[in-house]
Amino acid sequence: MAPQPVVTGLSPKEGPPGTRVIIRGEFLGTRIQDLIGLKICGSDCLLSAEWKSPNKIIARSGPAKGKGDIIVTTLSGGVGTSTVQFRAYHETIGPLKESAVWIEESPSQNFAWGRRTLAQSGLTQEDPLGLSIEGNEQKIPEDLRDLIPDACGDLSQENFSPAWFLLENHLATSFEDLKAGLAYLKRKVESQKEGQLSFLKSNAGSVIDQLDTLMNIRDKLQEDVKLHGSEPLNILEQSIENSISESQKIFTDVLVRKEKADSTRSVLLALSRHKFLFCLPNAVDRRAKAAEYDIVVNDYSRAKNLFGKTEIQIFRQVLEEVDQRILLIRRQLHEKVVKMPQSVEQQKKLIKALTSLELQQSGTTIGDRLRNTDPAWDAIEARAKYLEATFRQTFEQYANKEAGVQEKSKSRDPSQPPSRVNFCEELCDIAASQLPDLWRLGQLYFTGELRGPHDPKPGDFKRMVLNAIEKFCVYLRVAILIAADQRALRQTSGLSWPIGSSSATHHFLPWVPQCLRYTRIAYATLIGLDLPSEALDIIQRLIDEVRLFCFSIIFKRATDRCKKLDSLETWEMCVEEYPGATSLPAALESLLVETLDEVQSVCMQPEAREGNLLEPHSDGQREVTQRLQELLSAFSGVIAELAFASHDDETPTHNVSQLLGFPNAQQPESVSGAGSSAAAVNWEQRMLCCLANYAYCNKSFFHHLGNRFVRYGYPLPTLAIESARYNVNQLFTNLLEEYVEHKGDPLVGTIEPSMYLGRFQWDHEMEIGAGQLRPYAHECCDNLVGVYSEIYSISPALLRPILESIVQTISEELARLMSCVQRFSHTGAIQAHVDIRLLRDALENYTNETAKNYFLEALEAISPPLNSEQKRKADEILEHVKRNMRLQLLCFAVKEP
Amino acid sequence: MSKKPTAGPALHKVIMVGSGGVGKSALTLQFMYDEFVEDYEPTKADSYRKKVRACTLTPKTLGSATQCCTPSLQVVLDGEEVQIDILDTAGQEDYAAIRDNYFRSGEGFLCVFSITDDESFQATQEFREQILRVKNDESIPFLLVGNKCDLNDKRKVPLSECQLRAQQWSVPYVETSAKTRENVDKVFFDLMREIRSRKTEDSKATSGRAKDRCKKRRLKCTLL
Repeated sequence: MAPQPVVTGLSPKEGPPGTRVIIRGEFLGTRIQDLIGLKICGSDCLLSAEWKSPNKIIARSGPAKGKGDIIVTTLSGGVGTSTVQFRAYHETIGPLKESAVWIEESPSQNFAWGRRTLAQSGLTQEDPLGLSIEGNEQKIPEDLRDLIPDACGDLSQENFSPAWFLLENHLATSFEDLKAGLAYLKRKVESQKEGQLSFLKSNAGSVIDQLDTLMNIRDKLQEDVKLHGSEPLNILEQSIENSISESQKIFTDVLVRKEKADSTRSVLLALSRHKFLFCLPNAVDRRAKAAEYDIVVNDYSRAKNLFGKTEIQIFRQVLEEVDQRILLIRRQLHEKVVKMPQSVEQQKKLIKALTSLELQQSGTTIGDRLRNTDPAWDAIEARAKYLEATFRQTFEQYANKEAGVQEKSKSRDPSQPPSRVNFCEELCDIAASQLPDLWRLGQLYFTGELRGPHDPKPGDFKRMVLNAIEKFCVYLRVAILIAADQRALRQTSGLSWPIGSSSATHHFLPWVPQCLRYTRIAYATLIGLDLPSEALDIIQRLIDEVRLFCFSIIFKRATDRCKKLDSLETWEMCVEEYPGATSLPAALESLLVETLDEVQSVCMQPEAREGNLLEPHSDGQREVTQRLQELLSAFSGVIAELAFASHDDETPTHNVSQLLGFPNAQQPESVSGAGSSAAAVNWEQRMLCCLANYAYCNKSFFHHLGNRFVRYGYPLPTLAIESARYNVNQLFTNLLEEYVEHKGDPLVGTIEPSMYLGRFQWDHEMEIGAGQLRPYAHECCDNLVGVYSEIYSISPALLRPILESIVQTISEELARLMSCVQRFSHTGAIQAHVDIRLLRDALENYTNETAKNYFLEALEAISPPLNSEQKRKADEILEHVKRNMRLQLLCFAVKEP
Repeated sequence: MSKKPTAGPALHKVIMVGSGGVGKSALTLQFMYDEFVEDYEPTKADSYRKKVRACTLTPKTLGSATQCCTPSLQVVLDGEEVQIDILDTAGQEDYAAIRDNYFRSGEGFLCVFSITDDESFQATQEFREQILRVKNDESIPFLLVGNKCDLNDKRKVPLSECQLRAQQWSVPYVETSAKTRENVDKVFFDLMREIRSRKTEDSKATSGRAKDRCKKRRLKCTLL
């Protein structure tokens, strides 16, 4: 155990209570917890003790008085001792006297009983010695205080000690002054003694009065004793006690009533103060009925905040009631949230109200009864379901209507859009109005605005949106794409549009672009929503399909129109680059341009977020090729029809001069009329025109059309053009054959009869000296010239192919005829030689190899072969004939017209 | 006096006097508790008392005060356990009125001034006079102490002047430093020694003689 504490130093060593004292010594505790007791002059000062070190403690002195030890007690050293002492004294403080401690100066006033307490320092005595006590505030030596321990300088106190009085008040007064003071005191005492006697004398009357009164009192008392016995005090006491108990009763009675009144008042007060809470259940119901859910939420949260943690039974009951109502409201709200249709804003409001209600109610037992509801998610689901249902309903409605209409009547106003179109429009409207709502709701949900404490389900939502859009597309596809594979669609979607009559379908086709427009409007709305690209892609695919469908519809229509182009044929040959071609190709071109324009405006021009239909190797390309091919083949068909149509209804005019048979008179006028009058175009000319058209198409027009496509931004439809050209070529050849047959057959057919006209025989000798041709050769030449002129007037480019084949048949015929001749006379051989050679020479430009061989064969068929004289004669005649027929032959000599 | 402890070692009452801020408390605390207080807090009236061994040492060792404060290191010849009671008074003029009372109980005085403050040196004259007036004894144990000798470079009072004054008063003059503890023990022990020798003289003289006469005789003795 450590040495016991010793206090050896004090600073200061005296002071009034509350003085800050620095206590020094030894072993005053090893640490702050070691110090467990401190007494200064017997008063405990541990509370104010401030342990500094084992040698030093700072404390404030307690309310003790007098001299005393400072006792420090420590855990380690026990109760200590003190070598120094502290003197505590009380100080009266005046406004002018300084003090080390704070002393309350202002007199404390207590009005408890409406009475004023006596001012503590109210009685200031005048110095009994009549001396001033100023300047006497000297310390009384402490030894003296020890000498007279109980003395007091206060005159009014019992333990008044004159010596102490002098010490207290006149420590500094000089002896002379004190003597004077004593004299003054004596004088005063004397005067007071004298005063008593004189006072009695002067007031003798009143003294006697007092005496009389005292006598009266005694008399009254005796009377009383007689009246009430000798113990009036007992009776008095009795009655006093009675009255006390009575008053006590009254008092308690009043007290009880007051308490009742108080409690009633407090209850009323509580009621009015918490009116809000008590009215809450009904208020909540009313508000909920009025659909003012904001207020409900507000009120509820307020109530929760105010009374949520209350322990008061009645509040808890009311709160429970409110909770029940809120639960009901939440159920209602939930129903309302999922009820469709309604606006997103409305839904949002409901969801917010519901979420906040749930949030506030969560944790309570009632609130936990309805849990795990994610109103926003439910709303989204409900919306998606509603959307789907609306799609289906609309579809069924229109499908039924369509079916009904079909049964009722076939004759409908053609200007009225078919119900497919109406359906399309409505569906698009629905999609454009409701999908954004759904999406917006979803966005709100995922941004957390509407979400409660639940985890979001992005996957589900995305699937939902995709689903809705897919449904939308399926319905549209079923309605619009009638050309598509409906069976496959039906299998995948289980839907089918009632199969209408072909006329209805036909009626619908022109409306497809309209449907496309509706779809595009809906699409544009959806694009604006920032939907995931997957979702947009679905619609894009649909739109692309519809666009393609539009394209093919328009082209089909163009093809149909093209088929009717024959009525537009005017037989005007206005194509400069290709003489003989008519305005038909131009008509086709304008039709095509028109079509392309329409296509471009309707479907080809890609709108926002649409693909290019003309990707290489795409369906679009294929479709374009196919449609163009169809169109061109239709066109070819039209030409062919034009060429052959007149075959039957018009009498073929064989404008070939015939030496026998028909008179040749009408021929010139028909030929001349061909060029001037379009109406009077004869069949051959038409044929030629068609041929020219074919050739023109083949040569340049189709390429030109291809360029048109390129100009519209399409890839060059080479395949279609090439196949069309091939087609045209075929037709051209056919037509050519037809024409050649038509022209050549009569021409060739006339040769033989004309040759043997007038019983002519090759073995007869004949006159050849004049240098004449045989009439058949002449005729042949003339006919050829006629054909030539006819072709030339229409299309010089056709001369070669036509004439070549005619010349070939002529040469063949000649060869056949010559080989049939058994014997030639001398002159006959010469004549035949001349004829054949002339024809050969004249037609040299249009003679192909086969024809040449035939000519050669014809010449060789002349037997016996000419001798040199004959040859010379023949040459001579040939020269002559050529000179004569110079003009006829000239036209054949033109190499290329 | 009346309050003397009933039994035990002799009690010597020492009073510190001097102007405010010269280092009376510092000297006291250094002596009592070996601590040097940096902060200045004006004293009102402090009281300290502890048991010490006042040493009557050979003059040689006497010079070294530091040895005295560790008596356990050395066998103290003629050692006697005494108690020292130090009354640390207020230097400020505000408390001048209550000084008389204090002085009355003092048996020895350390009159402290600061060698860096001439005024405090001049004030010693008044203190000396007041003490003599209260005690009415010319030869009361008294030491003139020039404190703060560690601040020699700021010295304002020349050593010669101090020594001259001490000579005039026939008292010893010691320069101390409460900060470095230089001569701190010395002044207290010197004073106690004087008090003790004075008391033994008194007790010898008490046998049948009045105090006044004793004084007279003592005066004579000192004169001798």
